[in-house]
Amino acid sequence: MAHTVNRYKADIREFHFVLFEQFKIQELFGKAPFDDWSEEVAVAIIDEVHRFGTEVLGPLNAVGDEQGCRLENGQVLTPDGFKEAWQKMYEAGFKSLSISPEFGGQGAPTGLSAITTELSSGPNTAFEMYPGLTIGAAELIEAFGTEEQREHYCGRMFGGTWGGTMCLTEAQAGSDVGEASTTAVKNADGSYAIKGSKIFISGGDQDLTENIIHMVLARTPGAPKGTKGLSLFIVPKHRTDAEGNVTGPNDVSVSAIEHKMGINGSSTCQLAFGDNDACIGYLLGTEETRGMRQMFQMMNYARVGVGLQGLAVASTAYLNALEYAKERKQGPSVRNFKSADAPRVPIIEHPDVRRMLLDMKARVEGIRALIAKGASHLDRANSLKHTGGSESEISYHEGQLELMTPLIKAYSSDQAFRICETAIQVHGGAGYTRDFPVEQYCRDSKIFSIYEGTNHIQALDLVARKLNLGGGQYAMALLQDIGKFVEKHQASEVFRKSIGKLSEAHGAVSSTAMQFMTWFQAGEMERVPLVANRFLKMMSEMVIGWLLLDAAMIACERQEALDQEHPDWSFYEGKKHAARYFALNVLPEVVASAETIKLGDRSPLDIPDAAFATV
Amino acid sequence: MKILVAIKRVADPDNANKVKPTADKVDTTGLEWKPNPFDEYALETALRLTENGKNNKVRQGEVVVVTIGNKDTETQLRSALATGADRAIRVEAEDTDLDGRLVAAALKSVVDAEKPDLVLLGKQVVDGDSNSVGQMLAQLLDYPMATFAATIQEEADGRLLVGREVDGGVLSLRLTTPAIITVDLRVVAPTSVYSKHTDAGFKYSDGVRFAALPAIMKAKKKPLDVKALADLAPGKTNGSSYFRFEAPPARAAGVKVPDVATLVNKLATEAKAL
Repeated sequence: MAHTVNRYKADIREFHFVLFEQFKIQELFGKAPFDDWSEEVAVAIIDEVHRFGTEVLGPLNAVGDEQGCRLENGQVLTPDGFKEAWQKMYEAGFKSLSISPEFGGQGAPTGLSAITTELSSGPNTAFEMYPGLTIGAAELIEAFGTEEQREHYCGRMFGGTWGGTMCLTEAQAGSDVGEASTTAVKNADGSYAIKGSKIFISGGDQDLTENIIHMVLARTPGAPKGTKGLSLFIVPKHRTDAEGNVTGPNDVSVSAIEHKMGINGSSTCQLAFGDNDACIGYLLGTEETRGMRQMFQMMNYARVGVGLQGLAVASTAYLNALEYAKERKQGPSVRNFKSADAPRVPIIEHPDVRRMLLDMKARVEGIRALIAKGASHLDRANSLKHTGGSESEISYHEGQLELMTPLIKAYSSDQAFRICETAIQVHGGAGYTRDFPVEQYCRDSKIFSIYEGTNHIQALDLVARKLNLGGGQYAMALLQDIGKFVEKHQASEVFRKSIGKLSEAHGAVSSTAMQFMTWFQAGEMERVPLVANRFLKMMSEMVIGWLLLDAAMIACERQEALDQEHPDWSFYEGKKHAARYFALNVLPEVVASAETIKLGDRSPLDIPDAAFATV
Repeated sequence: MKILVAIKRVADPDNANKVKPTADKVDTTGLEWKPNPFDEYALETALRLTENGKNNKVRQGEVVVVTIGNKDTETQLRSALATGADRAIRVEAEDTDLDGRLVAAALKSVVDAEKPDLVLLGKQVVDGDSNSVGQMLAQLLDYPMATFAATIQEEADGRLLVGREVDGGVLSLRLTTPAIITVDLRVVAPTSVYSKHTDAGFKYSDGVRFAALPAIMKAKKKPLDVKALADLAPGKTNGSSYFRFEAPPARAAGVKVPDVATLVNKLATEAKAL
């Protein structure tokens, strides 16, 4: 029997720190486009979303995992309680936060909506995918649809009456999306006949909404091969009249649902469009072959969304491990290891458990800061556009977000799985059982490094595209920002050694980036993918090391005004230890990675296929 | 119906480990504050009594929330406004200057000015657990009162049928308004409260409703009046003084018994529970 109690844990103080103390979102409040926002409102919203997550979504997490989704008579049924949770969520306007006021939303700054996404995804990451993808699909229509399309779909999707999906993948077109073979042939009335099949469609069918609007990538007759020839179509599950009433089926059927390692509460569907030649789609906007460009504009935020999923699950895994370590007694303290009747101590007193806990803490808080930095750049660019900021300032912020996006997606999702694995290790054998939530977190988190562009695709995006964006100026600006920080704080008494390690990591990342340039110029292209993932990790850890040290500097300053009894004193002390641990235990690996890359080993390329194994 | 709901903020009971009593006071530095849970139930009750109880609820009355506290307590008032209350009143005071008698006296003046049909309070506050303000206020106002309400049904003529959970059963009282009710935990169960506009059989979601996120933003613009304690309770001062605070003793470690027989024996001879 699945648990129906909430196991989600969040440290709300941490959100306030990131939002108000480190990235100072309040500087943007009270002026366009965030005129109506205040610190008090943001805090109240965080509290309410946290309450909803722990009271409504959290108790359904293990239920969703154990029951999974079922396909009965062509209809996907979601786990018990999902439908009620969906209704409650939309009744309370919980999904209106980031939506534009035009569609009844509140136009919240991304820094805040990122936190509310974490607070919804952490309690139940499988459930959160249904509204998440619905919003993504609706935002595509909002951005590129005709006036009529916006009018017909957006309000109903943002309001939760209709769901939405993104249909890219086909059996032969996964990472290689340009191979998509679904076709769209124009009908006399201007609509299109859609035919083809898509796989791995999250939320491809469900019983939460009256209708589902699929955003389908398909090729029109005569369109070029590859991604350039793809167009995006709005394909509803059911046909509707002008008032949005369902009038009949639209020849979209579910061929099967996947049985997966994790996120079992989220339906993953194979969809068949036009098996009976009666599936109608509508071109998004007015121009064909714009599909990939349209999709990509949205994909960037979807990638940040996956980074948030990773953070959300990793964070609750860490906090559950922490709670367990404080309660579980086993063995004597290492200081009494020779005495057979020394008292048994909670395992948090054992050095290796402490190391694992601090390792998880530093990574979780570092990733949260990395995502908050990305969100802050987006909000600042947005604010500057509304308040007459200069082109160069706006472009700086937009460029930083572009640069951070692959780091956020890939580093967070890679680490999430590893952090969950560490959380299981802290629990020992108990963590391997279903009595504790960490094994589910671990299974749920594996998909994050795969979907929405695998992490290798993120690494290629970083080295081949983002580093050179704007002639390399954004990467230069980032390195300069870190250089300035090092210069400002290198004399710090408490953090001298840590700042030194940051400075070395900075040097290592810069020289590796230069190395890529020479490879590109020498035409040694195949070396780049071999080390791209390693470089993404180096760069992410450099940025995170910097952000954790930045937080530690703020913590030092704030601590001066407090006495040790104040609860915030310990909070700030934690920030200092996380930064120092990361700088002295993780940043040296950045330097080692640069050395490894310099060795220029080609063995994965040189080994003959037949030499991998004799089977 | 017009309803006045009194609310008080309390240090988050989940953070009890952070509370540090000293000899003469409880140190509240750095504590997180929340509305008293029973007061949240009172607010939920008031909202249920002033709406039609259908999905897409329509308001059918007015709910005014009042608290007595410093400027920081406006956070709890705003949160009540976000949940659905129409107006708020804050009476300026520090917690340490108050006792139940003074609070009841100040609330009486608020009731005299507002003239609500019903005053709703939590049965007690989870910090001091005094369980006194509702009763004292009823005495001062000379209103009919029901304490520990678990169910409330508004009848066609406006009278209120209140179910009170008492040892071994339910005691039903019929109150003529204006009246005072203090509420208990189960008043927020799905079928505990019916206004005369609510369809029979309508089921609420269990517990206290969520503040809609758009309403949190709009709550800033709802009216919040501030009044002086001296104007509401002239000449009255705190009549109670605290002379010592102690943390509860730490719980002693339990013992493991080898078998059921030993357990039964210990229960009978040591714990004298059998």
